[in-house]
This record gives sequence, structure tokens and C-alpha cells, in this order.
Amino acid sequence: MNEVCFKTIDQDNPHTLATYKKNGGYQIWREILAGKWTPEKIIDELKTSGLRGRGGAGFPTGLKWSFMPRNQAGQKFVVCNSDEGEPGTCKDRDILRFNPHAVIEGMAIGGFVMGATVGYNYIRGEFKEPFYRFEAALAQAYELGLLGKNIHGSGMSFDLYSHLGAGAYICGEETALLESIEGKKGQPRFKPPFPANVGLFGKPTTINNTESFASVPSILSHGGQWFADLGVKNSGGVKLFSVTGHVQKPANFEVPMGIPFKDLLKMAGGVRSGRTLKAVIPGGSSTPVLTAEVAMNMTMDYDSIEHAGSMLGAGSVIVMDDSTCMVKALTRLAHFYYDESCGQCTPCREGTGWLYRILKRIIDGNGKAADIDLLLSVQDKIIGNTICALGDAAAMPVESFLRHFRDEFDHYIKHGKSIIEVKNSGENIK
Amino acid sequence: MLEIEIDGAKVSADPGEMLIAVTDRAGIRVPRFCYHKHLSIAANCRMCLVDIEGSPKPKPACSTPIAEGMKIWTHNDKTKISQKAVMEFLLINHPLDCPICDQGGECELQDVAMDYGADISRFTEGKRIVEDKDIGALIQTDMTRCIHCTRCVRFGDEIAGVMEMGATGRGENLKIEPFLAYGIDSELSGNMIDICPVGALTSKPFRYELRSWQMQSVAGVSRHDLVGSNLLSQTYKGKVKRIVARENSDINETWIADRERFSYQGLSHENRLLMPQIKIEGKWQEVTWNVALDFALKGLNNAVLNNKQTDRLGALATNTATLEEFYLLQKILRGVGTQNIDYRLNIKDLDATINLPSNIKLTDLETLDYGLIIGANLRLEQPLINHRLRKAVLSGAMVDVVNVAEFDFNYQPNNHNIIAPNQIALLLAGVLKVVLESTQAEVLPDLQNLNPNATAKQLAARLLRADNAVIVLGEHLLNIPQVAIIAALITQIAQHTDSKTLNTSLSANSKAADLAGFTPGRDGLDANTMLTAQLKAYILLDIYPQYDFYNSPKAIEAFNNADTFIIALNSFKDEVVLEYADILLPIANFYESPGSHVNIEGLVQSFPAAVSAPGEAKPAWKVFKVLADLLQLPGFDYTANQQITSEATMHQNPKLSKVDVSKVDVSIDLTMKKGIDIIWQKSPYAIDVLLRHSPALQMTKIGQINTASMNAATAKKLKLTQTDDYLGVPVVLSETVADDCVFINANRQTWDRGQ
Repeated sequence: MNEVCFKTIDQDNPHTLATYKKNGGYQIWREILAGKWTPEKIIDELKTSGLRGRGGAGFPTGLKWSFMPRNQAGQKFVVCNSDEGEPGTCKDRDILRFNPHAVIEGMAIGGFVMGATVGYNYIRGEFKEPFYRFEAALAQAYELGLLGKNIHGSGMSFDLYSHLGAGAYICGEETALLESIEGKKGQPRFKPPFPANVGLFGKPTTINNTESFASVPSILSHGGQWFADLGVKNSGGVKLFSVTGHVQKPANFEVPMGIPFKDLLKMAGGVRSGRTLKAVIPGGSSTPVLTAEVAMNMTMDYDSIEHAGSMLGAGSVIVMDDSTCMVKALTRLAHFYYDESCGQCTPCREGTGWLYRILKRIIDGNGKAADIDLLLSVQDKIIGNTICALGDAAAMPVESFLRHFRDEFDHYIKHGKSIIEVKNSGENIK
Repeated sequence: MLEIEIDGAKVSADPGEMLIAVTDRAGIRVPRFCYHKHLSIAANCRMCLVDIEGSPKPKPACSTPIAEGMKIWTHNDKTKISQKAVMEFLLINHPLDCPICDQGGECELQDVAMDYGADISRFTEGKRIVEDKDIGALIQTDMTRCIHCTRCVRFGDEIAGVMEMGATGRGENLKIEPFLAYGIDSELSGNMIDICPVGALTSKPFRYELRSWQMQSVAGVSRHDLVGSNLLSQTYKGKVKRIVARENSDINETWIADRERFSYQGLSHENRLLMPQIKIEGKWQEVTWNVALDFALKGLNNAVLNNKQTDRLGALATNTATLEEFYLLQKILRGVGTQNIDYRLNIKDLDATINLPSNIKLTDLETLDYGLIIGANLRLEQPLINHRLRKAVLSGAMVDVVNVAEFDFNYQPNNHNIIAPNQIALLLAGVLKVVLESTQAEVLPDLQNLNPNATAKQLAARLLRADNAVIVLGEHLLNIPQVAIIAALITQIAQHTDSKTLNTSLSANSKAADLAGFTPGRDGLDANTMLTAQLKAYILLDIYPQYDFYNSPKAIEAFNNADTFIIALNSFKDEVVLEYADILLPIANFYESPGSHVNIEGLVQSFPAAVSAPGEAKPAWKVFKVLADLLQLPGFDYTANQQITSEATMHQNPKLSKVDVSKVDVSIDLTMKKGIDIIWQKSPYAIDVLLRHSPALQMTKIGQINTASMNAATAKKLKLTQTDDYLGVPVVLSETVADDCVFINANRQTWDRGQ
């Protein structure tokens, strides 16, 4: 546990440069500056490591880095996506708070591999403390001469800037993030062209998640195979899981991929006392919900969770115990996406509001029997028809909540109130 | 070329083309709202989603580039399901108030909903309502109907060059609205009405007038400027009710300027002249055409014909007349034996006029790499020429400006060289000297002692370096003493730098007047000499001297001479004309007469009449034909306007200018003159009588322009302050006006230019 991104977390002053260096920090970057690495070698190690994008999509990082037209003339950029806004996830926040130098070193390495001399770290608007921690780390790295122009006389340059967002969830979508850095309204671009060809300011750009970048230095210092062996097949290495919801000790845990869910739940202290597990959203609010039974039998890796009917996503595990009214839970989720839709494309702009209103009507006691089919139909019309994944993210929970907990919805519509809350009324839990 | 398959049929396409361009070309209907071929791709409406084999999700045709072997299904179930889904989403918050919506019947949403919409909405919640902002006199907003396609936003950003509309808010609260409180001021703003697919942006003057299907559309051509924009005049019961753009990729693409779109309002102004009138013993009487023409004939006979004084007859015309009108009127004059013919009313010295060809096509302006604009506020004076130049700038061209004041461009010129009018010839002479030296050409003796300044060297270097350059000479310098030499210098510079030239100094349909020979010729009097020659009779075509002449008081005085018989053909009633005319003949204005426009390229574009002229007013060409018959002149056996067109375009017109450009006489005094130069322009919506009578245009910011701009030093010399008027125009102090120069943009009559 805590071997990569959280390597320093249990030490005194984990975020400082001294602590980072004591743990072998910036060793790889110094080796690169000394000419001991080639971009190809780094990409090979990353491919061996099995590191997959930690932002949610799980695209192999080594492969992504190899897509960049690194030898193309002109400016190129690396961008770190620290706009961690998905309900249920808070892992990048703690990387920035406790190990910011790993992000800096990972980005610098990325800049070297992809021929980018400028990087941006886009940090979620609400992350004030992490932003200042990162800024302080950045200043230290510059002070040490590890960033800037012609670093240590190597002829290599890498400038890194942090950019604080303004509180829009959509800016976590990589192209909306690029628009936002450019000073425009944060809304996704249509693809193609992809950022690797036309990215930030129209230049080739690679965007990775904070955790992905922060994992790179450790992978290179221990070797890709070491990292791969920490995890399981198809899901190499360790991963940060944010366990939240109805658990005794909600927290971030850096554990090997493939750990059984029930072990992870135990690490978080299990569900609240006197309660039983009801449902789990394993990868952040946009991934399908799973029932307790399914969740307790899955392991935390890409294949197992997919097999269980959901997605690993960003590793944001939302635990719900038997006090949860699934109708209200879904309504809350639907409201989130309704509120965060950028409004650019039709299905999401119009559909998210429609989904929310139908659900709101149901929890207000005005639901109609046909509303279940309507919800399913509306979500089906959003999925796959939008510019970015926000539409899908808004739609997918609807289908899974209804698939697993349809009786609760039926009851709510028929009786105008939550069956769960009726059951719980004697126990004063609402 | 790649080969792809659409709905089972093989279609060839260019690599990189977007699918929708291919389907459009192949005539396959793919519904869309946000896509517009002259705007950037947004892919936000999602209406054009189609099924592409191998892709799990449907893809938008507008933003999916073609790939070899691609198989596309535009009408299968998967496509239809996606498109119907999008349609349902578009309609849930749309008011469906088609019966009271002006767009009804020509609404893209309505049309597509017929194919893809459901009969009954499943959306039972309250619909979104959006508060409207008043964005000015031209565009009516009903933003509750907006479907957020952002065509208007992209139009502002990409075409008009001012992002006046924007998308604010997010999600369901996304609103399309002007960013700034004062509304929409662009000279091209009306195009937003054409491109808005729904009834969110409609024409304010046309509001609640008619349904599109009630009107007939007649192809027309604008005569307000040198472009000859193609348009459709939409008519109902003999009235022009609306003007919309007509696509012509060589001329105006799909855009027209606001003055072209809204000037039609003037046609139904209460000041239209409706009946022939004759003045008997100082009293006006309405009469029939027969009586009036008889009166005209008698008047002409008495004044000049019977006593063989035909050289005491003159004809002057507005520059908005048609090619055929110019041609017939000059033919009558030459037929009775006089060459006193002119349309150049606003020029101080007709012996030294601008003789500069326009030798570049409008479309080629887009591919320039360098432009030098001299003496023009092109954006307001020739909006669509400016639009083409702007496109060149957007694709990397550099533009320099030499002007007497700094104007608001919708692109960034490299340098605004603000120079006093009397210094411009000197600057250009410097440019020419550098150019001649660089190209090892012989430096003319008069340039030997000249010391080109840094600006001259810079401009010369850029012209020499450019592969495709144009030098534009605008209308501001028309009346400065050195104008002929300026034109000559430009000709020489262009020759030695292999640049093209564009002469925008005469606007409207001036090129038609030139083509028709509506100029004095060798023995005739020109517009200025006529005024001092005490002529005995005039035929005046749609002239309003208080606006049209360089020296209005002089013109009015000449026309008011008691011995002078004046036949005035006018489309509008006018106090000044009533004073001096002996006979008033009501004539047609725009859209009421067939005719032809000759644009800056020399392209002759003919158009039919869309409506009849009001009251007893007649097209002027018919009046001239009858008058010629009454005068028993031969060669007027026309039965249709087109016969005149063909004759006019074959006609060899007399040499216009007295300055021969091939032998530039640079000995014309280049030294600067002391004194204050006045550059007098009619403001953009006051250039012709129709525009001056169009209420909506007059209410716009451009329509309200009425300023005498000068810098503080000039104001001090003239003993003026910000609260004064100068020559009847309010003074505006601005340090972006050159020294010793007053730049006047007047929307009022030009009684006195102080010279």
C-alpha cells in the first residue's frame, strides 16, 4: 500500500521537496537531463507497466504518449488534468496536497518524451489548498533549476504553469479544459481532430490525469515490470481508490489493482454500524451502479468491474447502505449533470434537464407509471449522440439504477413516497 | 479523390472533405441546423447524425471527415433513431408557436420537424422562457425560440468580424444574446436573420407583415455600392416587403450588407413622388403623363431646340441610375446634338480626377498576401469588398492603411498611417522612388531630389515583397488637389511592384455610367462647367442637389436661374427640387424598374422589375424612350429593356479622364500646401435618396453617424470646441484624425462645404 503516488504520505511534511528527494524524487528527471534515457525507452517501460489513464477512460498511457507527433516541428504541449470534479473522486486532490513534486516530475518526463517544452496543470477551481501546494512545489522546482530553459545546460527546456479552473465540471473533459486554458468558455470540442494533432492553441497536445503523471517517476525508477507485477493482468500497478459514502472511514487508498472490493471496503472501516451494504458505484457517479451482491464478489480492476457491469472509471467508490433511497440518489445525480451540462449540444442540454424533471416529479409524489419508460427512453436518446461524454455520464446511471432497483421506483410512483424512508421512519434516518 | 459509399451508391469525394459537403453535392438530404457552409463547424445541434459502418455511435456528417471506403447510411433505422431523438430534444423547449412566429413557413426547424418530429410531445414540464433584449432597429429577437445553433455567434466572430452575439450561461440556461448592452451595430448584421434557422432572429421592419409563401421572390441586384450584391426582393400585391440575400459565390457569397437588406423600406415612404406635375406661373399642377411630356417637349423646344442652342442643354444623373437609364439619357442628349452629360456631381475638379483601373476579381481579394488601403473606410463604404479583404487577413495577409483618420476595422491592419491629405502624394512619391530604385528602373527626374521617409520605405518594401498585392484607393481623397497625381503614382507603383489596383472612389452604379458613356466627351461640358455656363435647359435624373453636389449652393443657384427650363425626374418629393423644376416626372426607384448594374469588376448584372412603381411613377428608361420618340430621334425603337442593355454594353464610350496614366506627369506640385483640408463624406446610410428614406436604417448607429472629426490642434485653429457645429455638422474631437484635416461624415444635406 502507498507505494507510488502516496509514497510520501505517511512521512513528515510529505509535500516538501526534501521529502520527495529523500524518496528518490527527481532522480529520473536528472538522469534524463544527463542523457541517460531516450523517449522510446520510456515509452517501452510505460507500455510494460500496463499503466492506464487514471482519469477514468483507462487508455494505456504508453500508447497515448507514442501517438504524439514528437518529431513534428513547432510548439507542443503536455497538459495535466487536475480538474477532478466527478462526484465521488478526491484522489488527485490528495496527490497535489501530499506529493505535488511527483506530478511535476511526471509532467517534465512527459514533456521530454513528447517533445513538449511547455506544460500546464489545470487544477479544479475549488482546490485552493492543493493549488497553493502545487504552486509552492513549482517554485521550488524552478529554484532548484529543474524546470525552465536549457535545464542544467542540457539543452532541454520545460516550463510548467498551473491554471486554476473556475468551478465547471465540464472542464474536466479534456478539450473543454483546453478551451478553458485558452481563455474561452469551457465547452468540449468535437473530435476529430484529436488533441494529439490539434490541441492547446492548435498545437499537438497530450493530456493525462494527475495520477497518471504522478505514477510515471516511480514506474521508471523501479521498472515497468515491477509496476505491472503490483497489479493484475490488464490492470497493471497500484491505483488510488476514493472510498466515500456510507462507510466508517471514508478515505483515499493506494492499493494494488485487483484487490477484492470487500477488502477495500474493510480498509474503509466497512459500512456504517448497524447497516448493510446496498449498492456500490465503483468508478465515480457516471459509472453504472452495482448491487451489493455483485460488488462483494468483484475485484478492483478494469476487467472484473466491467464483467460486473460497471466501470473502474477514476476509482471513485461510492458506497450506499440500506438506508439509501435509490430514487432520491438518482435524482441527486441527475441534478448534478443537469446543472453541469455545458449546454452546447442538443441532447445533453435538453435531455439532462428532462431526466432531472421527471425524477423530481417522481420524488415530489407526482410520478406517473409511464415515467419509468420515459426515463429509459430519454437516457437512451442521449447516449452516444453528444459531443462529449457528459451526456453518456448523465444517462448511464439512469439505466443502471432502474435495472437494479426498479421496484423502488415503481413504489415511489405508485405511493408517492419512498419505500426505504417508510421502512426507516421508525429509526429516524432520512 | 476518394471513393465512399453513401446509402449503397458509390460517391467520390476529396480527402479531408466533411461528409455533409459530399452529401449536399450528391443531393442527399441530411437535416442540419448548426452547419452553414460559410461558417466554421460547430457540430452542436447533432441533427446531422448518420450511421457510419464500423462506428458504434452515429457520427455528425458536418464534422466527420471522409475516409477511403467509408460506408454511410443516411436514412437507415439507426440514423433515423438518432435524428428523431435530437429532433425531440430540440422541440421540448421550443415554444411551438409557429402560428404567431414570423419564421413560420420558412423555418428550418419546422421543415425538419415535418420529417423527424413526433405528433405529440412527451415533454409535459414547463418550457423554458428567455427574456428578450432589444438589439436595435433591424433585428427582432424572440430568443425563447432559439435552438442554440450558434450560427449568429459564429457569423459575428467569423464574418462580421465583431462578436456581437455570444453564448452566455451553460446547460439549459445557455443564452444567445449580445455581450454588450447597446445591441447589434455591424454593417452586416442583417445576415443573422437569413442564417437563423428558426424564428429567434427575424427582420424587425418586416415583423408580422406576411408569410413567406404569400410573397413572390424576384432576383435582384443591389445598386448601393460597387459590388452588385445579389438579392431577392420579396413582393406582395405590388410592394417590396422584404429583401434577402441571393447566393452568388463570385459576388457576395451568401451575404448582403444591411443597407441592401433594409433600404426597400424607403420605397413606400410618404415622400414618394406619385404624379407628374407641371409648374404654371409658379404654381404646381398635377397632370397626366401625356400633358406632362407635351409640356416637357414644348419647354425643350422653346429653350434650346427651336433656336438651335442645343449646346445650352445639359443632363445630369444620380449615380444609382441603371445602365439603361444612363444610356438612353446620353443617347437623347447626343441625339439632339449636345455632349453636356455627367454623373460626377460630387467632384471639385473634374479636370483632375482619379483614373485608376480596378483589375482584380472580388474572389481574388481573398488570396492576397498584401493590401494597401488609401483613403477609404472600406468597412462602411464597401462592406463586402472589405469582407473579402478581411478573409485574406484571416488567412495571413497583411494590410496597411494610409488614411486621414483612424477608422474602426474588423481586422487588425498592420499600420494605421494617419497622414494629412496634402502629405499623401508626397508619401506615395516616396514609395514610388524606393520601388523604382529597388527594381533598377529609371527614377523619374521629378523624384530625384525626394527623400522617402521611413513609412514610404516600409510600404515599398512590403509591396515589393508581396506575391499578390492590391492597392485600394477609396473615396476620401476625391477632392484634394493632388488626387490625380495620387492615382497616377498608384498606377506606377502597381506597375513596378506587379500589384493589382482597386478603385473604390466612385460608388453605386458609377461603372454603368462610364460604360454607357454618361460623360461629357471631348466637346461637352462636365457637371461643374455646366453649372457656370448658364444653360437654358436641364434634364435631371433623380437629383437632390443639397446632397449630391460638391458645391450644392452653386448647383441650386444654377438650377434656379429664371431662364433655365428644368425637367426633373425624381422618385421622391423634395423641397429644393420643387423650387427650381418646371416639370416633375415621377420615376421608379430600386426594384421598380428592370435594369443593369455594373460592378467593380465590370460585370454587367441585369435584373427585372420586382414591382411596379407607385402611383403614376414610371421607370425612367420608359420615360426617356417616349421623350426620344416625341423628339423624333431615330434609334429608339426599343420594346424591352434588354435591347438597351445589349446596345449599351457594345457602345464605345468616350475617353473619360483628361489625365493619361501612361505618361505620368509627376511634375505636378508635390510640395505640401498649408491650410486645412476638409474631407466630406456622406455617412454610409445617407449616400442615396432611397437610403435616406429608410427609417430602420436611419435609426441604427451607422445611420446616426453625423460628425465633423478633427484633432484638438485643428479645432483650435478653427476656433471650435466639442459643443460647436462645423459646416452644420457636430464637432467631434479625436486625436486619431490627421493634423490640419477635418473628416466629415454627414447624414444631412451638404449645403456648404466651406469652399
